[in-house]
Amino acid sequence: MENNKESKTILELKNVTKRFAGLVAVKDLSLKMKERTIHSLIGPNGAGKSTVINMITGLLPLTDGEIYHRDTKISGMKAYQIAQTRCSRTFQNLKLYRSMTVKENIMTGMMMDMHQGFLPFMFDFKKARQEDKAMNEKADLILKFIGLQELSNEYPANMPYGKQKLTELARSLMLEPSLLFLDEPAAGLNPSERVEFVDIIMKVFESGIDIFLIEHNMDVIMNISDDITVINFGSKIAEGTPEQIQEDPLVIEAYLGDRYKKEHGKGGRKCLK
Amino acid sequence: MKKQNKTLIIALICIGIAAILPLFISNNYHLNLMIQVLINIIIVLGLNFITGLTGQMNLGTAGIFSMGAYTSALVATKSGVNPWICLILAAVMGIIIGVGLGYPSLRVSGVYLALTTIGFSEIVRVLMTNLTDLTGGALGVNNIPVFSIFGHEFRENKEIYYLYLVIALLLIFNAYRIVNSKWGRSFLAIKDNPEAINASGVNIAKLRIMAFTLTAVYSTIAGSLYAHYVGFMNPSAYNIEFSINYVVMLVIGGIGSVAGNIAGAILVTIVPELLRFIENYYWLVFSIITLLFVIFLPNGMLSLFNKKKSMKK
Ligand SMILES: Nc1ncnc2c1ncn2[C@@H]1O[C@H](COP(=O)(O)OP(=O)(O)OP(=O)(O)O)[C@@H](O)[C@H]1O
Ligand SMILES: [Mg+2]
Repeated sequence: MENNKESKTILELKNVTKRFAGLVAVKDLSLKMKERTIHSLIGPNGAGKSTVINMITGLLPLTDGEIYHRDTKISGMKAYQIAQTRCSRTFQNLKLYRSMTVKENIMTGMMMDMHQGFLPFMFDFKKARQEDKAMNEKADLILKFIGLQELSNEYPANMPYGKQKLTELARSLMLEPSLLFLDEPAAGLNPSERVEFVDIIMKVFESGIDIFLIEHNMDVIMNISDDITVINFGSKIAEGTPEQIQEDPLVIEAYLGDRYKKEHGKGGRKCLK
Repeated sequence: MKKQNKTLIIALICIGIAAILPLFISNNYHLNLMIQVLINIIIVLGLNFITGLTGQMNLGTAGIFSMGAYTSALVATKSGVNPWICLILAAVMGIIIGVGLGYPSLRVSGVYLALTTIGFSEIVRVLMTNLTDLTGGALGVNNIPVFSIFGHEFRENKEIYYLYLVIALLLIFNAYRIVNSKWGRSFLAIKDNPEAINASGVNIAKLRIMAFTLTAVYSTIAGSLYAHYVGFMNPSAYNIEFSINYVVMLVIGGIGSVAGNIAGAILVTIVPELLRFIENYYWLVFSIITLLFVIFLPNGMLSLFNKKKSMKK
């Protein structure tokens, strides 16, 4: 995957601020994410990372600032409208549909590509069947891509946490996003699950989807990120490549700690293979 | 495929039983009960969309049902319009109620729908009682004509049963299709996790209003069928207790599934009749049974047969 420096900006935050009652969770944050990159947002607990994704995807209104997805101003739009610009996401705390099977969960990830309206659905049985078939096939394809075929009729509550996280990832792919937001995808996974998940994330990226990632696990972050933005108390304290971030004294002080620097050498995606 | 075949076979057996049952029944009271079961099935199937799937409480069945019944009854008696047309008008009334009540109360989350529908029901009841010139007040509307096909009037209970069975089957089939489609899944997703379905590009408000409109249309159709069956309407029975009874059917049968809805409607219509002998204790016993269901079988009666779904979540 080459990475020329002039690539287009696909996501831009301009002076974004979020205030909860007295607390300023995100403060005057600006950042640009380039096309065909994995861009990571890191920072200590409570730094405001999830709040950033929640604002971008429309689940929280901004207090101030603007957000653009490609040329579309998405700040101020409703969450479902933002999703329709081909942004999808997973959640830090899983939000699966517990009364549906894995496959039904995944199929529900996408309604807007199924164009048949309700009244046509009631009367045009043939078209309805075709659409249902197309939706099933798409879900089967994604199940296979993620490696969940065997669990397709299982209910989330009966599966290990790692598989539930994969189900949520699969659901987010159903929307055929061009930009995918992952909020701590590796949290709570055991080491082997984590390796599996990182492989899948790379597969997703290589299939053409750009990824905006929040993650605490530094192995994951330093290995797969192209660019990293670091925030602390809602403000940006650094940005750059994994190599630059690992050397940044501010970041080491606020987040990584000295220990990290000693234990780890070079970062960058090359190390993965 | 296998599961679908099984569903189909069970459905055909049930339809077969429903079709031959009247051949063994001559007692008019029992036939009457069976017609009532059909009407209740239609109402519960409708209620399933908004309360069972999207999880919004509708306590206005009484008001919606009686609006359907009165629309049909008044148009038929005052202007002599064919009852079939009245049935269609009742369905249109359902759409009006669904959008009219749904639009203000379902765009925001919370318990607004429960409150609006209770209020609506009370207003309907007061208006039906007091607009004496139009509705006949407490005395109600009488001599509501029966349905007829090619000049044949459906007057006998047995005939009406078969006619309504056909209508109920169409509505059951329709409900089954919706529940098992992208629409049903999206409705259910709204209850399970509104933020997630929202982030998947679905306009929750619009879907909730759609689900409620379906509910309302099923209820007004049931109201119309009822009015043309009994031949008279008065407002006295359409209070909150009436509405709650349908929520009970929904809960007992199994929220979300069509088969559960049908089972709940049959059970809750028939069991009270069997419990008649305990008279005053009836409501007490019935409430206890309902409570036990809610505690021990939160997914309804049918979850007994569906191991996977009954796994505690
Ligand atoms: N809906 C909310 N209402 C009020 N305060 C909130 C809300 N959401 C987040 N906060 C606060 O905003 C701050 C940032 O929270 P956020 O969840 O964005 O942090 P985070 O960086 O994702 O942390 P973590 O790594 O623990 O997930 C925290 O102090 C949190 O308590
Ligand atoms: Mg977070």
